[in-house]
Amino acid sequence: MLTVADINVSFQKTKVLNGISFSVSAGETVGIIGPNGSGKTTFFNALSGFVHPSAGSLTLCGEDITGTSPDYRAKRGMGRVFQNFGIFKEMTLLENLLVALEARSSVLSCLLPWGGHNKENRVRAIEYLEEIQLASRAHQKAGSLSGGQMRLLEIVRVLATGADLLLLDEPTAGVSPRMKEEVALFIAKVQQMGKTVLVIEHDITFIQKFCKRIVVLESGAVVLDDTPERVCADERLQEVYFGKRAAG
Amino acid sequence: MGAVLEFLSSEYVVHLAILVCMYLILAQGLNLTFGLGRLFNLAHVASFAIGAYTTALLSVETGAGFAKCVMASMLTCGLFAVLLGGISLRLTQDYFAIGTLAFSSVVSSLLINWKSVTRGVLGIPGIPRPELFGYDFYNNSNFLVLIFLVALIVQAGFYLLHRGAFGRALRGQAEYEDALQALGRDTGLVRNMSFLISSATAGLAGSFFAYYLNYIDPSSFSLTEMIFVLTIVVVGRPGSLWGVSAGTIFLVLLPEPLRFVEINSAYLGPARQLLQALILFGVVFFNRRTLFPPQREV
Repeated sequence: MLTVADINVSFQKTKVLNGISFSVSAGETVGIIGPNGSGKTTFFNALSGFVHPSAGSLTLCGEDITGTSPDYRAKRGMGRVFQNFGIFKEMTLLENLLVALEARSSVLSCLLPWGGHNKENRVRAIEYLEEIQLASRAHQKAGSLSGGQMRLLEIVRVLATGADLLLLDEPTAGVSPRMKEEVALFIAKVQQMGKTVLVIEHDITFIQKFCKRIVVLESGAVVLDDTPERVCADERLQEVYFGKRAAG
Repeated sequence: MGAVLEFLSSEYVVHLAILVCMYLILAQGLNLTFGLGRLFNLAHVASFAIGAYTTALLSVETGAGFAKCVMASMLTCGLFAVLLGGISLRLTQDYFAIGTLAFSSVVSSLLINWKSVTRGVLGIPGIPRPELFGYDFYNNSNFLVLIFLVALIVQAGFYLLHRGAFGRALRGQAEYEDALQALGRDTGLVRNMSFLISSATAGLAGSFFAYYLNYIDPSSFSLTEMIFVLTIVVVGRPGSLWGVSAGTIFLVLLPEPLRFVEINSAYLGPARQLLQALILFGVVFFNRRTLFPPQREV
């Protein structure tokens, strides 16, 4: 589904991603972990088109998408959940879903008087909200939701775009322990839909719940790429997080 | 009762109602880009000027009719927006404001110095009042009916835009552009389109301005005018269709009581501007936390 070949990203003279290569098959769920500053979010930015790599290539479903814009990639089925909550807090929950459902229609068609009164879109938006038990709050501002509810709304909004590949950047950041469970359950539900999921997460226990493969990044390079059990048992993981002395 | 009716139908009240309608069209245009899209567009009055001059030149020089002049004004302003948008919309936030201000200065300079076309500071006199389908709008009462209907259509159009998919996309772009792009929406196109609609609306208002006054010169399109329209949007609450409508009525009519105060006419103009400036400052001060929300980034 997604092939990343020797991706390099530099900010001025600092190399942030240093030749990352790996591929993800359709329907797979891959966890990406690494200490702060290891390049996880920059890697997602490069995948979703917000940062353009200085070298390397990206292929999505056989199509070379290197150098394309984020909206083009989204139209090709790549969805992104942001670390700092990507929902529109000033809009209602319903409007958040409608924006996603309308995103694939042309700007000109949006200008038509009936552009915003598409009953089918509204019905679908409510159905998506029912999936996360928030239909009763459809007309409330999204900013009034708790951290966990915002995460669920953001994930379901990505699903509404018709994305097949979901990039989830720390979906449990700013989420209460109880809501973490709900987010984990919903990600498992997304997996059952046959979607491909890449998850950045600090909490390795959380990520083990639904990932059969974990990639460890350090200094912008892949250090480990294996099953959760093997990754946890590998002393290089300790080195990455606590330094060589701790591992020894 | 009779005295009230007589007052309401007086030339003075009709004149004020025409001004309200004209500024409503102008302010709603700015409310789309600046209010809903949070694009600090300071070239709005430049579009207003281009619309006014297009109508003035076409009607005086070629004798073109009302529909042709209005369409040409809107089209010219649309083209201006495409040109301006192509360059300025690559800039972000503060830089965008400076870019549009620079464009506005260029337009002002052209109006004053391109004398062979604009007659410079002498302006263009003798712009005839419009005629449409055999009806003439020579007197102010008829002109009010025409501009009221146009303002009503513009208001209805913006109501649909604000509530519809385009309004949502524009608001999403204003709040978190990257998130909107990640959903598959070309945010550059949304911004350009809003700029085009806004500019064409200013062109429409400009066209009516030229028709109403029968005479235009560059002094009508100064930075002071831009600040006045901006004040309307800020006071009415950026992005609020009805708030900006109320703000238009309030600010257009606000200086009128000053007419009845015994004050030296030399101070009357500055007193109006001072009043508007104080209101703008007050509203910005009390809404300083919400007026310009910071754009979130990945």
